[in-house]
This record gives sequence, C-alpha cells and structure tokens, in this order.
Amino acid sequence: MVEDIYTIEVPFRGTYRLQRLRFGRGSPRLVVVGGLHGNELNSVYALNLLASALRAQAPSGTVDLIPMANAFGIEEGRKLGPFDDQDLNHTFPGDPDGTAMQRVAHALFQASCGDVCVDLHSGSILVDEMPQVRLSAKGDELDLARAMGLPLVWRRQPRTGETAQLVDCWRAAGCQAFRVTGGRGATLDKAVGATIALGLRRLMGSMGMTRPPAPCPVLAEVTDEQVVVLRCGTGGFFVPEVSVGDHVTSGHLLGRVVAPVGGATLEEVRAPSTGIVVTSRLYPMVHAQELLLRLVVL
Amino acid sequence: MIESQAAICRIELPTHNEVQVVRRRFQGTEGPTVALVAGIRGDTPEGVRVLYEVTRLLRQLPSIAGCVDIYPCANPLASYAEVQRWPFFDVDLNRRFPGREHGHPPDRVAFELVRHVHEADVVIEVRGAYRAFRELCQAHVRQGGEVAAALAGQANVEVVWVRTPGSMAPTTFAAQFDNVLVLEGGAGNRLSEGVSEELTVGVMNVLASLGVVSEQAVPVHWAAIQRPRVVTDEEVLRVRTELGGVFMPSVEAGAIVARSDQLGTVVDPVHARVLQRVEAPVAGMVLAIREQPSVHPGSLVARVVADS
Repeated sequence: MVEDIYTIEVPFRGTYRLQRLRFGRGSPRLVVVGGLHGNELNSVYALNLLASALRAQAPSGTVDLIPMANAFGIEEGRKLGPFDDQDLNHTFPGDPDGTAMQRVAHALFQASCGDVCVDLHSGSILVDEMPQVRLSAKGDELDLARAMGLPLVWRRQPRTGETAQLVDCWRAAGCQAFRVTGGRGATLDKAVGATIALGLRRLMGSMGMTRPPAPCPVLAEVTDEQVVVLRCGTGGFFVPEVSVGDHVTSGHLLGRVVAPVGGATLEEVRAPSTGIVVTSRLYPMVHAQELLLRLVVL
Repeated sequence: MIESQAAICRIELPTHNEVQVVRRRFQGTEGPTVALVAGIRGDTPEGVRVLYEVTRLLRQLPSIAGCVDIYPCANPLASYAEVQRWPFFDVDLNRRFPGREHGHPPDRVAFELVRHVHEADVVIEVRGAYRAFRELCQAHVRQGGEVAAALAGQANVEVVWVRTPGSMAPTTFAAQFDNVLVLEGGAGNRLSEGVSEELTVGVMNVLASLGVVSEQAVPVHWAAIQRPRVVTDEEVLRVRTELGGVFMPSVEAGAIVARSDQLGTVVDPVHARVLQRVEAPVAGMVLAIREQPSVHPGSLVARVVADS
C-alpha cells in the first residue's frame, strides 16, 4: 500500500509527496529509508526489488519502505534538497514549525521509528563503495548487521563535527539502527542493489518476519583501526589499477596519478599492506590529499 | 608598520593550476592582534569589499599598535563562481570547521584558517546577508561573549544580536574562537549602496576602540557612530510562511511596523491568487526581509526585532 506521509504544495510545480510503502501489520516493525541524498539511487532499485519480494511473501510484522525520502532532490539529480540547499540528513529530528526541510525531516522521523531502522545510501559521485553496513562503534546492532551478510561490516567512531543524522536520531529514540551503503552516487549498479536487497531479506529472516534466503558470511568485519585510507600527494588524473573487492598484497600497484595533459606519471599509489579494496575513486580528476582508496586490513 | 602577504593554504587543482588563500598582515608596534575574515561563502561579496576598503585605509596610516591580519577571501573558487558552496566538492565551507589537516581542499582550508586565526586576540568575520535576504547592518555575538559584545557595540551597526548557538553552530567558523564577532548586512550575492561604507567604518572603529588605530583613522567623527540596540534571541522573531508560493514583500529592511501590519503576501502566480497575508507578529523593526521570491511552507521571510 502506497501512502503519503507528508505533502507540501510548492510554487509553479505542484506537490511534494513523501511516500511510504507498507507491507504487513503488527510487530516487529522494520523501516528502510532510501534516497535521503537525491543522487544516491542504488537504494531506489534495492527497495523496488525488496517490495517485489514482499508482494510475493507477506511478512509477519510490518515492513515500511520509504524509497525516495528526498524526492525533489532525486528529480533534480541533486544530493541536496530543493529547499534552500539543505542536506536532509543534517536536518533531523526536524521541526514541525521550522523550515520546509525541517518539516520534511520531522514527518519522516515520526513516520520511521521502527524496532529496526535502516538508512540506505550509495557512495558519493566520486567513489565506488563495497556494499557494507556502517554502524556505531557502540551499541547492540552488531548481530543484525551481521545477519544481512553484506561483504563488509564497519564499526565506525563518529567523526569530529558530525551533526546528528537520521541514524543517530533513531538510536536516540530507542530504535536499533544503522546505515547501509554501496556502489557509486548518480549511478545504478544493479549488482549492488540486488546485494543490498538480499541483505535486507536476510535481515527480515533474522527478525522472524519472512523465510530467510540462504545465509552468507561477512567478508570483513572491521573497526576504524583496520581501515587504511589512501590519499594522493599531488593533484592530477587518477587511473586506478584495482577495483572494489580486489585482494591486494603489500606493494601492489593500486593506481597512478598522471598529468592530465601528457599523461606523465606523477605518483604511484601502492598498497601499504595486504588487504581488500573497499573504496575506489572513479571520478578521475583529483586534488592533492583527496581520497583515492580504502583498504581493509584483515 | 610593515605590510606583508602570505599564502596560508595552497590548493593545487587537478589541472595543476594553483589557488591560494591569502593573509595580508599589517604589523605595527606592541598591541593586540586582530583577524578580519571574509568570503567564507562565495555569495557574500559585501565582506570582501569591506576588507578591501579597510586594507586601503590601513595603508594610509603611518603606524598601528598591534597587528591586523586580513583574510580577504577564504573561499576563492566559490567567490569566483558567485556561489555559496565550494565548487567540485559542493560543500559549505562554513559547515566544515575546524577542518582536517589532511582532508580534501575545503577541509584543509578550514583547518589552516583556524590554525592561523587562533593567533588573534579578536576575530571579526565580515559578510553579506544570506542570499535570499536583505538585512540591516548587524553584529552577531555568542551568548556569554562579553568582550565581543562590547566590541560589537562599537561596530557602527544598528543591531547587536546576542545569539544562542544552534545545532549546526559547532561546525561554523565563528564557533572556533572566543572573542569573535560577525558583521553582516546588505543583500545576498550583490553589493548594496552604503553597506560597505557602514561596515568599513564599523571595523575601523572597533580597531580604534582596541587601540590598534587612532580615532583619526576612523572615516567618520565618533559622534556619528551608530549606537546599536542589543537584542537576544527572544527579541528577534522569525516570520515564516505557511504556504508555498511567491513571496512579495510589502516592507523594506529597517521598516518600523505595528503588530499585524502586512510584511508581504504569498501568491499563486499561475492562478493569480493571494494565498497568505504575512503579518508582523509584534510591533518592532524589520531586521531582514526576503527578496528571493519562491517560498515553501516554513520558509523564513522576515525577522522582526520586537519593541522593548
């Protein structure tokens, strides 16, 4: 069942609709939100696959899917929202009497506090990310994260200056919540979308809501200390030699920064240790000190 | 007095062109260090113009007591493009502080700016209004910042707003320092007649009150300096629309209004209907009025300072 959980009339062009797909009823309640950032679209595909599975097998309990939280941003192909360039994910828990984006955030938050809550993203438009669960270094969501069977589970410390995002607000409200990301922004990666949809079906299975698909072991479960961030020393044109998922050994050539004019090699990027590539830069123009790759060290 | 220029951060672009964030230093005799910063967002050029004028005035002086560090444009790429956010990364530099030493260019600029400005005893950020608005010249200081509040009283503005930090405040430039005031006025993304003159006088008068320059260096007589009204968050009322449409203002910034006076209307331009009459919630003075017309439910269209 599709329902409007919030609408706003906007000038010139009609109605903004925040829509929710609901399957089943009662508890437990799983809520999955996608498209908070309007140019991260693998979640839209993943949730459509999941909706198809839920139509074939009704859940025991309630599953709420909100695939396009930032519908206007999605229409405009932009990460941010249409209302004063605000980032919806920096607006939670919102305010019913605040700005348009704060009102959307408030309505979304009120409509999405389930027993278990998942926020789906893609990587930025610059990078490809291994499908993964990112969850707080503290908390008891780890078993749920493992149950999804995505390749990577990253227990991540909050960064300095990070403001409250939807997952933080869910957790503050007593929900079990985490973020899932994978692939690249502004790009549909069907395999990533299917992997995430399968992970969500395993999650429902572990919650006793549906018959679970076959389990899949997590490839790597890491904390910040096991994630090596590789940045370039000089700006230029980055040519990767590896892809997400590749196993590399110490010294392996991961990519080159070359001169955009002429192609002379300016810098070789090599693996500092044995590991798995979990993030890879795809947009080739890079500034000095930009992220090129992440490796997880096992 | 010695004038010098240094790059506090060099951004090498992927094409190997280089962009510098520059500090201009006027080093005089013994005295306090004052940092003046503009252009953190690229669509507030009024601050850049004020620091240009202040630089020209300082150059005419034989000496100063202390040091004035001028950062004329913290976000040169956005300023060139006349957009709020740092291009390429599409990030708001004023949400990246305190930055990271080894991050991407916006984070490195934020880090270097904080590292250098921390040497200062007093920090003044000068900027134009948010792009949708026209604003009276005003100073913002943090609640509890007595030194900054006293200096803001000398800044030739009409209102000093003592603000309680909001949820996003920790990532702003101003939040990184103790004695900091933010001077703001005019309209977003343009230069307005009279605004830079007012704020230039304000900056020079603050420097005079700190003893860095003499009273004679201030372009107007001390008796002509505006005596601002000091207000707190409770006295500044935000007026929001309840419906989306096109906002047509009925008053200008600085207007004196009675309670329920019309501040503007929200109209449906396609069907030529008035959707909402926006009224003053209290009697007072219009501190800011929206000039960009597209509004949504909850869009801020005016700030009114309530009569005391």
